[in-house]
Amino acid sequence: MSGGGHASPLHICPHSSPRVQFSHPTKGSEELVRQQGGGGGEGDLAMPLTCPLLRVGAGQDVGRSCILVSIAGKNVMLDCGMHMGFNDDRRFPDFSYITQNGRLTDFLDCVIISHFHLDHCGALPYFSEMVGYDGPIYMTHPTQAICPILLEDYRKIAVDKKGEANFFTSQMIKDCMKKVVAVHLHQTVQVDDELEIKAYYAGHVLGAAMFQIKVGSESVVYTGDYNMTPDRHLGAAWIDKCRPNLLITESTYATTIRDSKRCRERDFLKKVHETVERGGKVLIPVFALGRAQELCILLETFWERMNLKVPIYFSTGLTEKANHYYKLFITWTNQKIRKTFVQRNMFEFKHIKAFDRAFADNPGPMVVFATPGMLHAGQSLQIFRKWAGNEKNMVIMPGYCVQGTVGHKILSGQRKLEMEGRQVLEVKMQVEYMSFSAHADAKGIMQLVGQAEPESVLLVHGEAKKMEFLKQKIEQEFRVNCYMPANGETVTLPTSPSIPVGISLGLLKQEMAQGLLPEAKKPRLLHGTLIMKDSNLRLVSSEQALKELGLAEHQLRFTCRVHLHDTRKEQETAMRVHSHLKSILKDHCVQHLPDGSVTVESILIQAAAHSEDPGTKVLLVSWTYQDEELGSYLTSLLKKGLPQAPS
Amino acid sequence: MDPECSRLLPALCAVLADPRQPVVDDTCLEKLLDWFKTVTEAESSLLMLQENPCLVELLSHVLKLQDVSSRVLSFSLRLAGIFAAQENCFQYLQQGELLPGLFGEAGPLSRAAWTVPTVRSGWIQGLCSLAQHPSALHFLADHGAIDTIFSLQGDSSLFVASAASQLLVHILALSMCSRAKGHSGPVGGDWPACAQKIVGHIEESLHSATTPQVTQALNVLTTTFGRCHSPWTEALWTRLNPLVACLLERDPIPAAHSLVDLLLSVVRAPVFSSSDCGLWETVARTLSCLSPTQAGPLAVGILKLQHCPQELRAQAFGVLLQPLDCVLKAMAQAPGLPGLLDGAAGDSMMEDTLLSSKSACVGLLCRTLAHLEELQPLPQRPSPWPQAPLLGAAVTILRFCDGSAVPASSMGNHLCGTLAGCVRVQRAALDFLGMLSQGTSPQELVTQVFAVLLEYLKSPDSSPTVLKKAFQAMLRWLLSSAKTAGCSDLSRHTVLVLRELFPVLQKRLCSPCWEVRDSALEFLTHLSRNWGGQADFRHALLGSEVPKLAWQLLQDPEGYVRASAVTAVGQLSSRGLHASPTSPEHPEAQQGLLSEFLHILSEDSEGFPRRAVMQVFTEWLRDGHADVAHDTEQFVATVLQVMSQDLDWEVRAQGLELALVFLAQILGQPDPHCPYAVALPKAAPPGLLTEVLQTLCRVRLFEFVFRALFDCDRPVAQKSCDLLLFLRDKTAPCSHPQEAGGSPDSASMEATLQRWRAGEQGQPLGDLEPEAVLAILGSIDLEGLQGMLAKSSDHMERSPQSLLKDMLATVHVLEENEADCY
Repeated sequence: MSGGGHASPLHICPHSSPRVQFSHPTKGSEELVRQQGGGGGEGDLAMPLTCPLLRVGAGQDVGRSCILVSIAGKNVMLDCGMHMGFNDDRRFPDFSYITQNGRLTDFLDCVIISHFHLDHCGALPYFSEMVGYDGPIYMTHPTQAICPILLEDYRKIAVDKKGEANFFTSQMIKDCMKKVVAVHLHQTVQVDDELEIKAYYAGHVLGAAMFQIKVGSESVVYTGDYNMTPDRHLGAAWIDKCRPNLLITESTYATTIRDSKRCRERDFLKKVHETVERGGKVLIPVFALGRAQELCILLETFWERMNLKVPIYFSTGLTEKANHYYKLFITWTNQKIRKTFVQRNMFEFKHIKAFDRAFADNPGPMVVFATPGMLHAGQSLQIFRKWAGNEKNMVIMPGYCVQGTVGHKILSGQRKLEMEGRQVLEVKMQVEYMSFSAHADAKGIMQLVGQAEPESVLLVHGEAKKMEFLKQKIEQEFRVNCYMPANGETVTLPTSPSIPVGISLGLLKQEMAQGLLPEAKKPRLLHGTLIMKDSNLRLVSSEQALKELGLAEHQLRFTCRVHLHDTRKEQETAMRVHSHLKSILKDHCVQHLPDGSVTVESILIQAAAHSEDPGTKVLLVSWTYQDEELGSYLTSLLKKGLPQAPS
Repeated sequence: MDPECSRLLPALCAVLADPRQPVVDDTCLEKLLDWFKTVTEAESSLLMLQENPCLVELLSHVLKLQDVSSRVLSFSLRLAGIFAAQENCFQYLQQGELLPGLFGEAGPLSRAAWTVPTVRSGWIQGLCSLAQHPSALHFLADHGAIDTIFSLQGDSSLFVASAASQLLVHILALSMCSRAKGHSGPVGGDWPACAQKIVGHIEESLHSATTPQVTQALNVLTTTFGRCHSPWTEALWTRLNPLVACLLERDPIPAAHSLVDLLLSVVRAPVFSSSDCGLWETVARTLSCLSPTQAGPLAVGILKLQHCPQELRAQAFGVLLQPLDCVLKAMAQAPGLPGLLDGAAGDSMMEDTLLSSKSACVGLLCRTLAHLEELQPLPQRPSPWPQAPLLGAAVTILRFCDGSAVPASSMGNHLCGTLAGCVRVQRAALDFLGMLSQGTSPQELVTQVFAVLLEYLKSPDSSPTVLKKAFQAMLRWLLSSAKTAGCSDLSRHTVLVLRELFPVLQKRLCSPCWEVRDSALEFLTHLSRNWGGQADFRHALLGSEVPKLAWQLLQDPEGYVRASAVTAVGQLSSRGLHASPTSPEHPEAQQGLLSEFLHILSEDSEGFPRRAVMQVFTEWLRDGHADVAHDTEQFVATVLQVMSQDLDWEVRAQGLELALVFLAQILGQPDPHCPYAVALPKAAPPGLLTEVLQTLCRVRLFEFVFRALFDCDRPVAQKSCDLLLFLRDKTAPCSHPQEAGGSPDSASMEATLQRWRAGEQGQPLGDLEPEAVLAILGSIDLEGLQGMLAKSSDHMERSPQSLLKDMLATVHVLEENEADCY
């Protein structure tokens, strides 16, 4: 049997994305672990025989997330994100690094999606319907519901903007979603006989989850993006003390000390209020889901409190659906929202109305949420063009914008934008950036490491410099190894798995027969033969092992010659040896056999005359492999010579 | 280079050279390199460097700086490589000692920055761009670059390691090609020095006892034979074949996966079609030495070849058939029954694999089924193709999986236990079974196929993904069975299957899983599209609750299901199979359906069902569906009115499709090869034309189409523009813009359109007269608009000028913005 098929590590995401990969044990151990070569986790034994190693590679930038983990021979892909900064192939991870290992469906045991943001799930339909992965995809129920909406939104923008033909279609998104298995929080899901996964609450966005991946006694926790402080509509991330071998955590805000979210919210409301008060219009470009709902709640509450009458519109047709899901998954939101749900559903907005294109030309103040979020196409861009020339108006960008979008341009301070046909759009309206993204900061990350108590930590989804600071902090405080490999780099982690071994009843009885009862607090050595049959390990007596494996027994004997100065006859020398040994080895059965030889257990001693020197006798000592210790001892004893015989 | 870009470059280079101004966005640097690559492909790099001295200054400056960021350093290495790809520019940069500084031992190689993978990657990519001419080869040799590349093959970054291997292949090919002019290949041992060094290194690696090194050598060779098809590759293989063959003597065989890739790359290379060089022998030996799982991909690769020795094909097919042969034998009641490999002794390695563990067994079966599924439709598949035993094996595997098999051997018992409930194998076997529907099979086996598919569709244990595949396989078998029956009616057997199928379909339409309801509806749509006219099918369908249930699913809570229900019900209705039109409960069923669809179009909160409705309406209009034909004008007017303000641009685009079908019906078909083609239109006669235009005005088609022309979503505007071009060319002879242009009607219309173009679409167009429409059609620069719309809507933002400006503008933006993400 060959184990070569797994020797090469796994590779994904060759460009500028974070990637982690776990791979298989190094060659030496792999040969013991694997019965079967060839790509894929299918060829592995249920139970590893030796301490396998986990190999990890990870990325150090914020972009598409796509992480590959090999744990005890199982291959799991964590997230399948895209990079919005590219318009060509580079936006998706280069899966050819995985397809080198054979068919994707054979190689990967499952795909897990942590949450619905496109940098975590945007490449999924491409991966499953165009690259050809046909296996299961796991995500939480809210993610399953919301993910296709965002994918559809993204597809429409890509096709709308560029008329891209080679892009996944609506049908592909649907077919991809049909491969999804939705999971509940804290539910242990058996992917197959050996691999199990469990989701934990991650905050961040509705339905975001951290996942524990477990094979036998080895486990990895992947956090995805998370938030350790509750916000206006979501709770804080939580995980139990699961002590994984490895915790893979995001580190977006590894060192950033951010002003409180409350401050940013207050600032946002103040700016919106001031603008509408002076008769201006406020444009908030958003993606259909996520931050949009958070900001809607914020404005709705403020409008209610201040009794404002200025209209607020939401331009996308998806609002209703989005709000429907927020209502449906109310248990995923924070306690406050759940409590108020009894009186009133937070997501049934009184002040926020559906937007009609004609409203943009209405005089007077208004607030409009419009998609897409980076002002790169469609409705939000159209409204922006109309309102940009008036200094009374304001655009608030609540999220990151990639280069090549109008959003990016105005955020970087450009006020004269070149339009088609050599037209220049002068941006006189106010431009504000408000970050509302919910990631754990350094304190939060430390808190999570403390909660989970991992054996080692791996940082992804962050910038190298910031990660270095956090790495040192984690290593100092928790005394665990912390890794921050660059994109595509491989790290190997040793693990100490506990391997269950069955003991045969026969062997236990044999031990009992020797009259030594087991004591709970006193470990005892038990000798036997370890055999592996039907992927199970058992300790049995050597006789039973031979019988079960159908093998014949061979005796292996060690021999040694000891020269003694003794002028007496051989029989007398043998008798002297017998009495000497008998006096020393009181616990052993020392016998003098009729043929003149002496035995101690399996050790046989015979005296013979020296062929050249009659004053010297040669003791021929031989012993079995099992009595090797005693045999060596006797030999050294005899080499010292015999005591003087009484005269 | 564009003068504007040339103007911006010095400032940008200054920013890049300033370590205090971090370049935060990697994508910008990538795009910048893309741009430089495009520019240097079109013009002289040397000229560009001379005209823009800031570029050389940047490279020199980066060399001197100790604390330059790894991103900028990597960028500079790649940039220098792009310039140096042209030999005269290479010489120019050499004069300034820039290239040795960047790529030689004194450069980044010896700096702390070398520990950053991005820098190593930049170094490799720079060299890869640079290595285009003989001078580059000397440069590489003089500066010891080849040895560095050898060491980078084992780099800790997979991407660096992979790029290093690619670079080696590139240099080997360059070295051989520079020599090959006039030579057909290396004669005797006479290889060019550089190539000799690389090949020597490959030989050494193949001798190595460590698997990663062997893997590296095999990967380099795989790429070489995949990319280079010059005669020298034959000499290379002749030299290395013995070493590759030696790998087979090791236990275990190192890097088996890479070995298979290499052999497949070699056998596919056209150079080897005429000669052998011991190749086939090595391949045959490899097939027999590898484990069943490892040998599969090699076997399938061999069977896909056009030319290959017959014995090898037989051996390869044997490898693929063995696992299924074991499965068949495990079920055989008595030994000696026909199997897949009659006469061949059971392969013990195969049985070991199937017995060793569940995962090994499942893996082997899934791979084998996938390989055979891949082969089945190919013209070069093995002949005779053992259709019947393969079908038997697929059915048997499915029976093992659902627990209905009665095994007759210990192997059978083992498989029963291992495969029970295994979704992976079920999926693979159903896919394979579906593919086998293309062949001719004995009736008895076909009966078994339908039986097992029905069992899967009925079983409460079938997962949604398995059910989807079972529906797909069932559809393929049903359609193929009708094809083989050859007559207009379905065979008796198919009718029996249908009778059993519809109750199952009913159950699945009521499944709590949306995935299952949706798959069932998709199945229903396909089946009625193909069999809507078959009396037996109609009878069985109408005798069931399926049409009624499909109708009910128009109210499904899941948008995807509603959309599929719209398509299915629309299809049934086209075939006169909608929910019992004669039943007393649905006296107005047909009319009800139209209003139901209009209701969905105006009210559904999701785009999918609305899009589906538009597709159905378009099909109805095209096919002359009874309700539509009854009053087509009214139908079109209503639909356009309902959907014209839809928020989903795809619904609006579909509306234009419907408008085009309507136009074509009253004006004549557009060119069938290109529906929107404007060349050589056949103009309509004037009398008819006025009538047509009046009709179009009545249904308010122009209001919708003109509004769409200024739609903020580009595809809608594009489609509308194409439609108007078609219409204009049809009406060309009647249009007299100079006469109609002055009419007050057309003036107000033009004014409205101007406002629409400016984005103010609130004002309606009002009642139109054909003359005014003709005048407007003649006055709009539709060709100009079409050209503009053909560009991506962000083409301005994606221009190099825009990129340079963005990079310059971003410098002062707070860092927090970039750290933020979605």
